[in-house]
Amino acid sequence: METALRRLALTKEDVDTGYGLVPLDPDKGVFGMRVTPQAAQRLTEGGHDFDGPWSDPRIEPFGPPR
Amino acid sequence: MRVLIQLRPSPDLVAAVADPSMTATTSDVSDGLPGVVLDQSFTPVAVPRPVPASPTGDPLSLNQPLVYSMAPDQASVVLRGEVSDDEVNVRMSLLPGRRDVVAVYADPVIETSLTCGGDPPVGDWRDVERLMRVAELRAEGLDGSGVTLAVTDTGINAAHVARQLGRATTVDRDRSWSPDGVPGQPGEFAVDHGTMCAFDALIAAPRASLIDIPVLLSERPGGSALDGLLSDAVAAFAHLRTVLDAQPAATRSLVVSNSWGSFSPRWDFPPGHPGNYSDNPAHPFNLIVGSLAEAGADLLFAAGNCGRDCPDGRCAYPDRPITGANSHAKVLSVGGVDVNGHRVGYSSQGPGRLTARKPDICAYTHFAGSCAFGADSPDSGTSAACPVAAGLVAAIRTQWPASRLSPGQLRTLLRRSADDRGELGYDYDYGYGIVDVAGIIGALRSRADRAA
Repeated sequence: METALRRLALTKEDVDTGYGLVPLDPDKGVFGMRVTPQAAQRLTEGGHDFDGPWSDPRIEPFGPPR
Repeated sequence: MRVLIQLRPSPDLVAAVADPSMTATTSDVSDGLPGVVLDQSFTPVAVPRPVPASPTGDPLSLNQPLVYSMAPDQASVVLRGEVSDDEVNVRMSLLPGRRDVVAVYADPVIETSLTCGGDPPVGDWRDVERLMRVAELRAEGLDGSGVTLAVTDTGINAAHVARQLGRATTVDRDRSWSPDGVPGQPGEFAVDHGTMCAFDALIAAPRASLIDIPVLLSERPGGSALDGLLSDAVAAFAHLRTVLDAQPAATRSLVVSNSWGSFSPRWDFPPGHPGNYSDNPAHPFNLIVGSLAEAGADLLFAAGNCGRDCPDGRCAYPDRPITGANSHAKVLSVGGVDVNGHRVGYSSQGPGRLTARKPDICAYTHFAGSCAFGADSPDSGTSAACPVAAGLVAAIRTQWPASRLSPGQLRTLLRRSADDRGELGYDYDYGYGIVDVAGIIGALRSRADRAA
């Protein structure tokens, strides 16, 4: 996590540290983290080495039908 | 086969049938037709003749302005009857032109209505157990023993599941996982949707070992008690990858049942936006789904409850409601049918957004089962159909680990053996059809024989 924060110029306040750094595809060394909308905006404008930001939609159970 | 027979008897008789003040019977219209058992209880019906509205119109075309004539010399009469199944083609060919018969038509069964949310249960879990041929699966040694079955949902109450099933259940606490901040122990969550899913998964795989992943209990500002964020599912799948990788390669098997999804585009970037989820195979969750399947996991997702006949009130996609991972090429997308084999009206129809041919298959839902929502409430939604199918997959994995039958091969087996419903071949209501356990057992036996 420390390395990721340094590479993306983020602080701990910018990310969900409880969520952590999640391996998305360990075979390819791809990881993900949850960031604030403000941090996402800065990342988008900053030209850092990352993909995203990605949507994080709400998910709900498919039942019982209402 | 039941048939409708269209006749053109004398104008006097047509006039009598068409006259609401008179009562004409089938025997008044016809004294019998060879090879047809006429239904004497059916009251003959007069049918108007379509006539071109223009004097120069084509008398044999229905694709033009028409008027409908009930004039006795133009209208016809319809009777109802039955033809022996082995003579249908001959009778339907030879009857027209004889004894006033104009034509013979099929008289198919029409459904009154499809099962919808709020309707009472259709059958019970014992019916599902019978339809899933659980006794035959057990006789083949396919009962889920040694197979890990993850339920990503609202958490499992194992005591409730055991009580309702009348047998012990196993929750693998060490390999279970919760999102950060979710209180509670694996297998000890409040009885809710996840408990229903666990119960339904154990119908076909009674000896499977459950992994409890209460991903929908993740707490966040503004959320309700029973929803989560897709990022929680990303983290859950990352955990499941470690579970899978820790298994010996030769006996690897992990079945993951996912009865959830996104109801609304409101929470997503729009399709075409690079960060979109619903239509974007490059979204991290869709990537991790593909990666986990490739590593040997069987992933099943509910197709959703946005069927056109009676969609869930939360459905907000204007079309193509099977979105994101629920429509991923490397998962089984499961639609719902009742125990009579009829699609439930809320089961989402394809095409899917990531892969067109979704749903893949259908499994049973809307039956009395876990009582997770009360004694009179069914296990419903494609939420129930998904774990029912996942239980079948777990049962198969008892003898057929991923090293012997890859997840892709297993998906193909389930599709090819499915009991075709709806239109001939694949259709967007039933997918390839309803899971057919007899067909699966037969195919596995053949495969085992070939390998021997």
